[in-house]
Amino acid sequence: MKNSEGRRLNGDAEEDDEDEDEINGGLEAWERSYADDRSWEALQEDESGLLRPIDNSAVYHAQYRRRLRARSLSATSSRIQKGLIRYLYIIIDLSRAAAEVDFRPSRMAVVAKNVEAFVREFFDQNPLSQIGLLTIKDGVAHCLTDLGGSPESHIKALMGKLECSGDPSLQNALDLTQALLNQIPSYGHREILILYSALSTCDPGNIMETIQQCKKSKIRCSVIGLSAEMFICKHLCRETGGSYSVALDESHFKELILEHAPPPPAIAEFAIANLIKMGFPQRAAEGSTSICSCHKEAKIGVGYTCPRCKARVCELPTECQICGLQLVSSPHLARSYHHLFPIAPFDEVPPSSLNDLHIRSQKICFGCQQTLLNLGKPGLCVVCPKCKKYFCLECDIYIHESLHNCPGCESFRHLKPVTAGEG
Amino acid sequence: MIFKLEDVTVYFPYDNIYPEQYSYMLELKRALDAKGHCLLEMPTGTGKTIALLSLITSYALSKPENPIKFIYCTRTVHEMEKTLAELKLLHDYQTRQLGPAAKILAIGLSSRKNLCVNSRVLAAENRDSVDAACRKRIASWVRALAAENPNVETCEFFENYEKAASAAVLPPGVYTLQDLRAFGKQKGWCPYFLARHMIQFANVVVYSYQYLLDPKVAGIISKEMQKESVVVFDEAHNIDNVCIEALSVNVRRQTLEGATRNLNRMNQEIERFKATDAGRLRAEYNRLVEGLALRGNLPITDAWLSNPALPDDILKEAVPGNIRRAEHFLHVLRRLVQYLRGRLETENVEKENPVNFVASINAHAGIDQKALRFCYDRLHSLMLTLEITDTDEFLHIQTICDFATLLATYTRGFSIIIEPFDERMPHIPDPVLQLSCHDASLAIKPVFDRFQSVVITSGTLTPIDLYPRLLNFHPVVSRSFKMSLTRDCICPMVLTRGSDQLPVSTKFDMRSDPGVARNYGKLLVEMVSIVPDGIVCFFVSYSYMDEIIATWNDSGILKEIMQHKLVFIETQDVAETTLALDNYRTACDCGRGAVFFSVARGKVAEGIDFDGHYGRLVIMFGVPFQYTLSKILLARLEYLRDQFQIKEGDFLTFDALRQAAQCVGRVIRSKADYGMMIFADKRYSRHDKRSKLPGWILSHLRDAHLNLSTDMALHIAREFLRKMAQPYDKTGGGSRKTLLSQEDLEKMTNDGSINNMLY
Repeated sequence: MKNSEGRRLNGDAEEDDEDEDEINGGLEAWERSYADDRSWEALQEDESGLLRPIDNSAVYHAQYRRRLRARSLSATSSRIQKGLIRYLYIIIDLSRAAAEVDFRPSRMAVVAKNVEAFVREFFDQNPLSQIGLLTIKDGVAHCLTDLGGSPESHIKALMGKLECSGDPSLQNALDLTQALLNQIPSYGHREILILYSALSTCDPGNIMETIQQCKKSKIRCSVIGLSAEMFICKHLCRETGGSYSVALDESHFKELILEHAPPPPAIAEFAIANLIKMGFPQRAAEGSTSICSCHKEAKIGVGYTCPRCKARVCELPTECQICGLQLVSSPHLARSYHHLFPIAPFDEVPPSSLNDLHIRSQKICFGCQQTLLNLGKPGLCVVCPKCKKYFCLECDIYIHESLHNCPGCESFRHLKPVTAGEG
Repeated sequence: MIFKLEDVTVYFPYDNIYPEQYSYMLELKRALDAKGHCLLEMPTGTGKTIALLSLITSYALSKPENPIKFIYCTRTVHEMEKTLAELKLLHDYQTRQLGPAAKILAIGLSSRKNLCVNSRVLAAENRDSVDAACRKRIASWVRALAAENPNVETCEFFENYEKAASAAVLPPGVYTLQDLRAFGKQKGWCPYFLARHMIQFANVVVYSYQYLLDPKVAGIISKEMQKESVVVFDEAHNIDNVCIEALSVNVRRQTLEGATRNLNRMNQEIERFKATDAGRLRAEYNRLVEGLALRGNLPITDAWLSNPALPDDILKEAVPGNIRRAEHFLHVLRRLVQYLRGRLETENVEKENPVNFVASINAHAGIDQKALRFCYDRLHSLMLTLEITDTDEFLHIQTICDFATLLATYTRGFSIIIEPFDERMPHIPDPVLQLSCHDASLAIKPVFDRFQSVVITSGTLTPIDLYPRLLNFHPVVSRSFKMSLTRDCICPMVLTRGSDQLPVSTKFDMRSDPGVARNYGKLLVEMVSIVPDGIVCFFVSYSYMDEIIATWNDSGILKEIMQHKLVFIETQDVAETTLALDNYRTACDCGRGAVFFSVARGKVAEGIDFDGHYGRLVIMFGVPFQYTLSKILLARLEYLRDQFQIKEGDFLTFDALRQAAQCVGRVIRSKADYGMMIFADKRYSRHDKRSKLPGWILSHLRDAHLNLSTDMALHIAREFLRKMAQPYDKTGGGSRKTLLSQEDLEKMTNDGSINNMLY
């Protein structure tokens, strides 16, 4: 069951890849449904009337920069404080509208695939946080999985439940999530991420009151719409301090959902410093057999032992089933660290000043050592405000998204003692 | 921001200005310099009102040696309040910048119903009864009576106002109707009469069209406005209709019955006076014999509506002998009513010109033209003599006298049409005698002649060369401005085919085709599933809307729509429609989504805004032509062809398209807003129809969107909504500046590039 699901999903992922030809090599041309792919939309006419694939990289980069700036703006306005321990409920709309096929193969499948990617990315970036899944269909909200730290169990639960029907009810979903989130400890940051396919909501009561309650319980609600902007979603996000975005296509949707992986700035009045009790369990001996407390069955091999009650757990991070201690490993903590010290967004270099750049012969990217000149004419590039090194757009994204260190500033720091020594 | 516009320093209360506002002001200023009339079209949502206000007030400030007065006419009280609120903001800014030198007096004037503060007067339900209730307390004879008998009720606010006499003035400032009421309450002065008194001194007056265009009201309210005034008609796309209505009278059976009742009562009054106070009637007779002007020195309280004919056309003669005596006059009126009743009993539609009609009255009822012409003034005098205060009861006889006076005064541009029943409901006898004016230029002519500059402005004045012909004037400036947008936030589409690729239209021969109704239904069903929040649909008429909704109900389309959105319908009942609108807004707010079915030329199409999420899509089903078999319309078309060489087809198309543009324009109320417009009729794709749409819609109507079928429109709508949901930069990037700051403006003025950018 799981295998077949997985394969189907993999297949989907591949179909969306750009170079389909290789993957779909087995199909005849007429078997591929070009009509559904709207491949003609990805073409545009250039000055000489030739058809070319649309070059979206500049557009995408501009969007990325705008988001980056927005994020850093909200962060720099006050002292950066970020919730590293997040409790996030993902609400997936599985109403009738989720069966629409404007995203291929269907909105539902695209959502499921990207939720999977998101869950993995989320735990990678926030090792101390927990996720729960909810679905809305037929006017009711179902809790698919409780809050937990294991990506596998969430993904498995979601893949088994991919059917859609009925009307959505935003209010029911919010009510249920709110009840669930109210139980979590005060140091955790409560968040909701709604993936909303529908364009309406059929509610039993006044949704405005529910939104106010969410605001009162300091739940940050964000929505990603799949079709168009809805006033109520916008209102919800504005009231609770979340973000609202609407996906243009599949890849944009992926970008939008992954934007929610890094921790958002904490709500100011909620961000009180707090001491949390945590355990750093030791890895148990390789060969020993013992009953693990999470699956309640005998397991051989890798496991961790809770430092307080000596129970055995299979994976980290988690909460000890026996004594309720938060169990983490030190690399997890370290990995969350960079969120607190983000690198400043790089400044864009206007094309006019690139001529000066020419003179100074700094025409290569400091990151990848590639030339910054795009086919002779100056391409877009950015400059680090601290070390004044130039970078290309790919390196810009890589540095901010993955590396979290500016190579220019780092090498500068290394050079300093050397020059001092020489001097 | 403050900037120089040629030789005028303009004080603009915001930090940024749209380029089209700048060019609008520039054109307006040139028109003012030339002391001529102008015609300006600028789309709604571009801050037309504030541009107008700030330019004209700044112009007045920069030329203190010859102060100009600024008269701003709006269509509704709501618009009046909005304008005054904006003026208040501007005035605050100007006084901050310039100190007390910038002080002006600006007031709004409305009917007693909106201004009265006397709770007992306000208890009356409609405008006429409020007027009557007021008159009952302040008429000169009532007050004289009250001086002797304390039990007679008067209005304490008016008494205080009278007592304060010349001391009753408004300090400089901007007064909305609300402020006027508050001020009146605080001082204990009647706000209505205070406002009426103060409009002579105010720098800015904001009031309704009628106060200038309807000679009955204009005669008493706007008589003393100086020539150095700038008159602005805002939202003036229907100004020709307002002009025509001001000079048209309808007489129905109820009117005649009411008139007979009125005459009986007056008769009784005359008898009573004869018994008690015969001298009074004799005094009136003597006055009329001497030929004294009726409106000599009447106290302000007794002044009633003045003559319905235009000031230049009123005879300055003595009232003819045969109607000088009260009893004789009543007899004449009785014969007139009798004659009209006879005419109403016709079986056929009759059309006559005024000359023939007057001749026929003379032959059958023995009333000559001159006597008819004096009917209105004579009635007025008689009612004063008889001390009648409940004027709302006497509306019927007033209508008759209106009719008689207008009929006898004008020989051209009018016709009389008698219809025994409504064409659309031939089984219900509802005879109506209409004196209809065909010439819009008649009513507005005195305004053009009297005032130095008249500005006619609206969001839809296309084709802009037609208005000068309709209103018979020569504008020094007539310009149409486009909207500078940071993103393409309007998406007009012409849908010519339904989902089965068959043409859709509300053309007469296709109207009853079930295929068209089904295609329209399918279009809406598809649209409700992809458009969030609110959708507004306009139909060509109430009857067509009823018919198509019934069809949709039978075929289950309505049910499909209801799965996605709630359905609300405009009816002819105002209260019902208001309730429907409220619920529509709630449904849009809470995310349920809603569709509003409405009618072009209805109340909703004219005055209600569907901004933001209240209107993401507007669908215009069909072309809203007027009912072309209407006799009045035919008569008017004939007149237009003969007098102004305007072809029937051209006028009809123009009128239909301005209504359509007005309807679809409801969804865009600001630049941050976005919305789609679907013109669902194959006739819109024809060039002669399409070219009559305003420029700001046409410039966004791409050739690819001219001939769509339902599925294509659906695809475009999906893409558009996704694109619009993305965040964007409000000031507009790069070369396409859409929001100018003071520095931008100065820079552009200096290097001359401002002229290139003018829209």
